[in-house]
Amino acid sequence: MGRLRQKGKAGAAKAYVTRSAAIKKLQCSLADFRRLCILKGIFPREPKSRKRANKGSSAPTSFYYAKDIAYLAHEPVLKKLREHKAFAKKLSRALGRGEWSSAKNLEENKPVYTLDHIIKDRYPTFIDALRDIDDALCMIFLFASLPSNPRIPPSLIENCSRLAAEWQLFVMRSGALRKAFLSIKGVYYQAEIMDQTVTWLVPYQFTQNIPIDVDVRVMLTFLELYQTLLGFVFFKLYTDAELVYPPPLDIKKDELAAGVGAYLLQETSQKQPKPAAPKAKVVEVEGRQVSGKDVYKTIKTLASSPSDSNDMDVDSNAEMGSKDSGEEFVVQPSKSDALTTSLPTLQSLEALPQSVNAALFAPYTLWLSRETSRPIFEFLVRSFGGRIGWPSSSGGGSPFDESDNSVTHVIIDRPVTEQIQETEEQRTRRLKRKYIQPQWIVDCINAGKILLEAPYAPGETLPPHLSPFGEYEGAYDPAVTTSGDNLVAGDEEEESEEEDVEVEDAEEEMADGNVLKAVLSAAPEDEAVLRAAELAAEAAGIDPTAFEKEVAKSQRRSKKKESASSSAAAEVAETDMNKMMMSNKQKKLYEKVKHSQNKRNLERSKLEDRKKIIQKQKRKAERNP
Amino acid sequence: MAVDGRNSKKRKQHEHEEQLDTFKVAEMEMLSDEEDGNNIESDDGEVDEFPELDPASDEADSEEEDADVGEDEGEVEEGSDTDSLEEEIHIFPKSKTIISDITGHEKRVYPEIEPDYDSDSSTEDTSNRVGNIPMHWYDDLPHVGYDMDGKTVLKPAQGDELDRFLKTVEDPTSWTSAFDKKAQADKPLTAEELDLIRRLYTNEVPDATYDPYEPMVEWFTGKGKQEVMPLSAAPEPKRRFVPSKWEHIKIMKIVRAIRQGRIVPNKPATAQPQFYAIWNESPSSHAPPLPAPKPPLPTNSESYNPPEEYLPTEEDKKQWEEADPEDRERDYLPQKHSALRLVPGYDRFIKERFNRQLDLYMAPRVQRVKLNIDPDSLIPKLPSPNSLKPFPIYKSLKFSHSNMVRCIGVSPDGAWVVSGDESGFVRLWEVNVGKEVKRWKLVGKIGSLEWCPRLDVSYFVVGTEDMVHFMVPPNLSPQVLQLTQSILAPSTLPPSPETPSPVKWTTPSSASWTEDIAIVTVHVPASSGLTTQLAWHCRGDYLASVSAGGSQGTVWIHQVSRRHSQAPFKKVRGKVQAVLFHPVKPHFFVATQQYVRMYNLSEQKLLKTLQPGIKWISSMDVHPSGNHLIVGGYDRKLCWFDLELSDKPYKVLRYHTRAIRSLHFHPTYPLFASSSDDGAIQIFHSRIYNDLMTDPLIVPLKILRGHEVHNGLGVLQIKWCNRHPWLVSGGADGAVNVWCS
Repeated sequence: MGRLRQKGKAGAAKAYVTRSAAIKKLQCSLADFRRLCILKGIFPREPKSRKRANKGSSAPTSFYYAKDIAYLAHEPVLKKLREHKAFAKKLSRALGRGEWSSAKNLEENKPVYTLDHIIKDRYPTFIDALRDIDDALCMIFLFASLPSNPRIPPSLIENCSRLAAEWQLFVMRSGALRKAFLSIKGVYYQAEIMDQTVTWLVPYQFTQNIPIDVDVRVMLTFLELYQTLLGFVFFKLYTDAELVYPPPLDIKKDELAAGVGAYLLQETSQKQPKPAAPKAKVVEVEGRQVSGKDVYKTIKTLASSPSDSNDMDVDSNAEMGSKDSGEEFVVQPSKSDALTTSLPTLQSLEALPQSVNAALFAPYTLWLSRETSRPIFEFLVRSFGGRIGWPSSSGGGSPFDESDNSVTHVIIDRPVTEQIQETEEQRTRRLKRKYIQPQWIVDCINAGKILLEAPYAPGETLPPHLSPFGEYEGAYDPAVTTSGDNLVAGDEEEESEEEDVEVEDAEEEMADGNVLKAVLSAAPEDEAVLRAAELAAEAAGIDPTAFEKEVAKSQRRSKKKESASSSAAAEVAETDMNKMMMSNKQKKLYEKVKHSQNKRNLERSKLEDRKKIIQKQKRKAERNP
Repeated sequence: MAVDGRNSKKRKQHEHEEQLDTFKVAEMEMLSDEEDGNNIESDDGEVDEFPELDPASDEADSEEEDADVGEDEGEVEEGSDTDSLEEEIHIFPKSKTIISDITGHEKRVYPEIEPDYDSDSSTEDTSNRVGNIPMHWYDDLPHVGYDMDGKTVLKPAQGDELDRFLKTVEDPTSWTSAFDKKAQADKPLTAEELDLIRRLYTNEVPDATYDPYEPMVEWFTGKGKQEVMPLSAAPEPKRRFVPSKWEHIKIMKIVRAIRQGRIVPNKPATAQPQFYAIWNESPSSHAPPLPAPKPPLPTNSESYNPPEEYLPTEEDKKQWEEADPEDRERDYLPQKHSALRLVPGYDRFIKERFNRQLDLYMAPRVQRVKLNIDPDSLIPKLPSPNSLKPFPIYKSLKFSHSNMVRCIGVSPDGAWVVSGDESGFVRLWEVNVGKEVKRWKLVGKIGSLEWCPRLDVSYFVVGTEDMVHFMVPPNLSPQVLQLTQSILAPSTLPPSPETPSPVKWTTPSSASWTEDIAIVTVHVPASSGLTTQLAWHCRGDYLASVSAGGSQGTVWIHQVSRRHSQAPFKKVRGKVQAVLFHPVKPHFFVATQQYVRMYNLSEQKLLKTLQPGIKWISSMDVHPSGNHLIVGGYDRKLCWFDLELSDKPYKVLRYHTRAIRSLHFHPTYPLFASSSDDGAIQIFHSRIYNDLMTDPLIVPLKILRGHEVHNGLGVLQIKWCNRHPWLVSGGADGAVNVWCS
């Protein structure tokens, strides 16, 4: 006999801890525990038997792995949180006593935690991090669009919008954008970076109000993590693309609300040698730090006195690079420059997959009219190599103005109005340009080619905008207009004809073949009916041989149908019987799969039916307007 | 008093006294501990005595300089007895000690109590003497209480709203009056009360007489009250005036560090780079944590301009709005906008982001293998029934009884069928055409029928209430009839067994016997009930019968040749449902409600207990090879046992919708059938391979429907015809059907 096993010493009772037990063990508050869990990515687990995991109690609790909690217990952030608690106490005491100097001293030595090690822990490789930035990007874009309030400081919003701009700049530069989708929730974008698809959602530009049932603290904790994560990811992406990170901000442009255009992409100079790995880090970091910091400075000094730019070598190099690249990439990607600019891009971005149609809009110059959203379309068009300009009411930094002759397309989103007065120049300009609605851009991107502009002309009813992400296999596809559609059409013809029969009973203009068909389809087997049909055919003046042929055909058809149906029925019965031999487990699985299949089929058929009805209605409306 | 006297001396005397005291203390210390307490008392006594002398001189002094007296007095009281003093200050008004004119002794005089607001309220003059009670008790009464003499105090006239208003206008004092509950009338407030209200209103001290800025009385400090003498006589320790050596060492350490530049005081915080190449080092060997599942990508219905078929109808909208947010399939309703500029902001954006985050950190995650299988691949691939012909397909004839047919027997040559119904009729008919040849009427229900498996003789047994009848069919060839008679009713009866058996075998005399009556009747003990089952041994000599009566089913084994019956089991655990002889070996199966036990009759021991897992076994049958057993139960299960393998079923099938009633293996064809209360008969192909490694093949072939369900009972018994793949079935609707291939 083995050793006696005590209850609760092994197995689920040992492997899982409840949340309250975990908090007790970590000696922190619930809020701190939550924060730690968010930062460390620890989530509750579902034990196989809740009772066994909770020492016989079936009370509703959440369980964590005991190992996860043990792992949290060694977390430096937890230590810092404890220190912060002590600090808060000390500070409040000092303030209460009016000991200002000691309060100041305390404030200076306030414990601050960093999340670098957590990022490294959670994402051991860069690919891991890249795979997980979807949520981070969504949050960053959301917070970049939020108004500041006492709980959300403006500095946070500023940082979020900076990160958002950095990401957009990178995507534009690397041509990584693949798909976009205008949904009712916002705009979905999908980019492909290092073979990882990154999808993010950007809300439309409206003021968002934080609902009361949303805990902002949780969101801010997530945001804290996401900011750090994105910072490191962007650093890696930029440095791999031989760009300076963070990209310097052109304050003048930013004040003019240039948005993304306010940041300058700066290439790190080619001359700088790349030392071996361990040393390189330090040097690189230093170099980056210096350039990153001083570029701001130099920009400021440049603004005041342009000649005064004899800083460190690195700086001037970086500055030069930035100027060039900025002009090339951000402001004027003209056709002549395209080659020279694309060369270093290809060189530097070997790792990144180049899209076949990354230069979809390269031959075109687009103009955004003032009612369209600039951030969306500037990003979309520039990611696909197009030039785009906008009126100053949409923000500064437009590379050209409306009267520019190179404009080929105008994105316009307003109802058609009569052109009251038009100068000759305006008229020629109008005729030279193509006017399209904004959906054209997105549909072109998703189709991977330039679509015809006519259906997207202003005032036209737009074709439906479909999701480029697709649905599950075998789902209803609204774009399909093949055999099924024809069948539908045929059915409808018949139906409509039947209707006609009903309506215009007096009219005798029906096709003879249809009479026959109708009669024969009713009862081809029944002799009496056949006889009657023959008579009717004679009366209608149809050739008797033709009638016989028709009869033979219909009989053959019906026989075939019958035999097919009987054999099918037999097969169904057979499979039904074979189901008896399934084990219970298999039976359940089968039922489950069948259930989901049926549900899908039902959904699909519902949509198909609706489409039929809509088409029918449309046809009717066309026929008798 | 005495203490006062002592202390109200002049400074010199005082000091002198103190010296004396200390001296005394010193003396005291030299005394032994025992005398300590007494000594103090005596000490007190001395002190008490001492001042007795003083007052006169003191008085004399005080008469000379009045101011001094007051001061001294203050000193005195403070120095002497702080406790009593404090009490005097806080609780009672200060008392004065004066010499009484009458007695000439000292006496304390307290100040007169002023009857102002903080004094005793009992002096107030109120006519109403009800006390501190809720005044609403008098709401319904004409009076508001009682005065000192016990007479009612009437409520003053109240006046209506107009009166009240007029009063406020006319009476200049009305705004300074308040409602007095006791008097039930407005009373003007006194000047003091108004002042009090004003003070409360302006956050002043409510008491007008209280002066918060009284000059401080220096009780303990001030001139002449400094402590002169040290509390301890110990000399000042050195550490008080010599700088600490250890502190010096520590400070020097820091100083040296500063000099050497190891510590930079007031160094500005160096700005660490916020971001750096974190992934440049090789990653740790730990597997990365599982990434969180990504949210599903948007589908067509989420488009701002979806195809029209995606738009919800009114019903869909209503359904969506009525459903709980958790139950909704989508978290939005598809909408169609004709232009992008018309798309409004999405109001649940933040909420959805928040929910996603809650999912990320609060939802338990389980890794599930996603099954991507074709459900049809789960259905086992079995040979087509068409390739396994022959088996019964259609109903060839129907033979009707007037009552429920419980049992059928098929002759070993497969040409004749006997069927017995509940009204006691046993009818013999021909399988091919369904012509009835003979009918017998027995007493009570017919519980079971079984044809003797021997081919050289021809008779069948009928089980009724407490009896088993041996019947001989008509129209037999003479040899067969003779042999049958010689077996069943030999001219010389075998010797009766030594031990008397409770079972009686009776035979009518050979002269009186006709085909209408049983040739042999076996009387099992009375009250053992209806014989529900009869089972022949394959040789046709032994017959086992199961009776339903009593708490436990009674099993008897009858031996025809010896006309002897015996009970094989003294006691059977559980109610016996069915018994069977093994076709080859001397084994015997007994099915109780939940178990099937297999006995070796020759060795008289239990071989195996099979556990089919059925709640209530209804029937069983053994394969002609003897290696496989099927057991059917009222809980719709059919279990297939391979007797050479486990005690647990090899296969459990559940396909009937109601209880299984009967099972039968075809003696020659690889077929078996089961019948159920749902009125269906299920035919199976069951191939058993000689090779022990191959599992038996069971293929469902056909479901035969043709019996009606009657009172919840369907097909009660089925039997195969021996030489043909034909099936005979008897149902609760009184029909006996023959199913042919």
